[in-house]
Amino acid sequence: MTENIAPYIALSGVRRAYRIGGEMISIFSGLDLTIPQGDFVAVMGPSGSGKSTLLNMLAGIDSPDSGTLRIGTSRLDQMGEAARAAWRAHNMGIVFQFYNLLPMLSVAENVELPLLLKPLSRKERRIRVDKVLDLVGLAGRAKQYPALMSGGQQQRIGIARAIVSDPGLLLCDEPTGDLDRKSADEVLEMLRFLNRHLQKTIVMVTHDPQAALYARRTLHLDKGDFVEEKRAA
Amino acid sequence: MTFFALARKNAWRKPLRTVLLMVSIAVAFLIYGLTASFLNGAQGTAGASDDILGVTSAGGRTQPLPMAMMARIAADPDVAAVGYVMRLRGFVDVEKNVVAISAGDPDRLLAVNGKGLGLTPALVEAIGQARDKVLVGRALAEAQGWRVGERVTVTAFDMARADGGREWRFEIAGIFEGEDATTDTYFMIARYDYVNAARARGKDTVDAFIVRPHAGVAPGELAVRIDTLFANSATPTRTQSEKQFLEAFLRQYADTGLIVNLVVGAAFVTLLMIVVNTMVFAVRERTFEIGVLKTLGFSRRGIMALILGETLFVFAVGGGLGLVLAKLATLLAGPALGLVLSLPVLAKALAILAALGLATGALPAFNAMRTPIIKAFRTR
Repeated sequence: MTENIAPYIALSGVRRAYRIGGEMISIFSGLDLTIPQGDFVAVMGPSGSGKSTLLNMLAGIDSPDSGTLRIGTSRLDQMGEAARAAWRAHNMGIVFQFYNLLPMLSVAENVELPLLLKPLSRKERRIRVDKVLDLVGLAGRAKQYPALMSGGQQQRIGIARAIVSDPGLLLCDEPTGDLDRKSADEVLEMLRFLNRHLQKTIVMVTHDPQAALYARRTLHLDKGDFVEEKRAA
Repeated sequence: MTFFALARKNAWRKPLRTVLLMVSIAVAFLIYGLTASFLNGAQGTAGASDDILGVTSAGGRTQPLPMAMMARIAADPDVAAVGYVMRLRGFVDVEKNVVAISAGDPDRLLAVNGKGLGLTPALVEAIGQARDKVLVGRALAEAQGWRVGERVTVTAFDMARADGGREWRFEIAGIFEGEDATTDTYFMIARYDYVNAARARGKDTVDAFIVRPHAGVAPGELAVRIDTLFANSATPTRTQSEKQFLEAFLRQYADTGLIVNLVVGAAFVTLLMIVVNTMVFAVRERTFEIGVLKTLGFSRRGIMALILGETLFVFAVGGGLGLVLAKLATLLAGPALGLVLSLPVLAKALAILAALGLATGALPAFNAMRTPIIKAFRTR
């Protein structure tokens, strides 16, 4: 799974195992992966194949036991927790399956959350929030609360929150897993737009073959290794 | 939105729980505010001076001192002025209506502590008009509803008149205000020559001498010198500052400071346990969301600050409410209660408030800070 052009994401010889009930269960035993900047990759595979572990490592919330993990110019495998938190704040956005919005915050406040970690004025934050809400088609609903909105709309808030700090990398964990087909297609179209027009590098874990069709290529994981790659026509 | 606004919104997630927490904090700080105000003001110690010395008998305050001692005290070159008082306690109309009278020489009282008591030459002149004239403190006058020119009769508990009666009749010549709100004005000033002449026993003795040192003189050193002067006499003395004197006087009845500290300490320990317990549960309920915030890039310190900000907000609102109520109570309470919520008391209350806010938030904040993101995500 290598690319000839300079990779944006590069995993080399990554090993990861978990101790479960006194037994070490190996998830990856030497995983290699490169993803160029601006790619849109869908990762599919059966449960337990390592999709979530891969996504967690790319998000810097889990670390490989050995091997190297580089994103852009950052070696995540060598970073401590504080450095990884700072890296996430500035370089990565994440879209969750169940949106994971904070219920006591309005739409705009949810989207604004990652900007609290940046040295921006209140006015600058508001401008950015308005811009991304407009981008995801939720302009005018900034003051509403997520609980009163549909799943598709909530996921669009989640996407707005993920891109508001203008990260280079967007990680999506089953972003359409909780949506009907129509809403799912809207969300996927939006991801494709972000990839094609805003040059976001997207890694999307999904069980949905229809969702994978929106990606530029699809990687199939099984037992901790990539077994197949399909490129979009 | 700001970081603090996020903490505030977190605090208001369950409004009833938050309101109940705030109410319990408010009650605790109301108790603190009132007890500290009592300690600060009720005895008049807040307004008492550290510079003015009181000379009493080393054998106890009920032991009289001969008037002749005054000349020896006044002879010390460091003494600027000396006064004296003889105390008379009694009641007006009913036994529960207790009043205190300090009988002295008004001119000397003016010289020694005129500023502290709010005495003026006009008041001293007014009391000098007749021997049975008295000056009444503002707090006592308001509590009794007395006016200038009114005649009052005080029935003494102990001090009998030479004619066998215990009724002492006075005419109010004026009202003294005290230097400020912290000055104890719940007493009267009578003329010593009148009381001394009419009393049955203990003539020409006083309960205490009051000494004002010259500017620049260390009161502590002068106090030691005065006590040394009478160490081998028939009436050895104990000289203290006015403040020490009043505090010691109160300790005769109870160590109010200790009682207040115990009451307040118990209230705060209980409060600490309630709030810590509630906050631990409140934060545990949100473990998943803390994982989300960490995933968005919030650092461990940021998470800790968020939870501490939340508890500080709850304490600021609850404690602030309690202190405002305490302040209102001190303003509305009768002057006889002598409650004074002064700036130092308020500053101490705010320091306790901040310390408790941080202490109660520390455990849940520490737990939230340490929770790994992956573990947090498993709690859904």
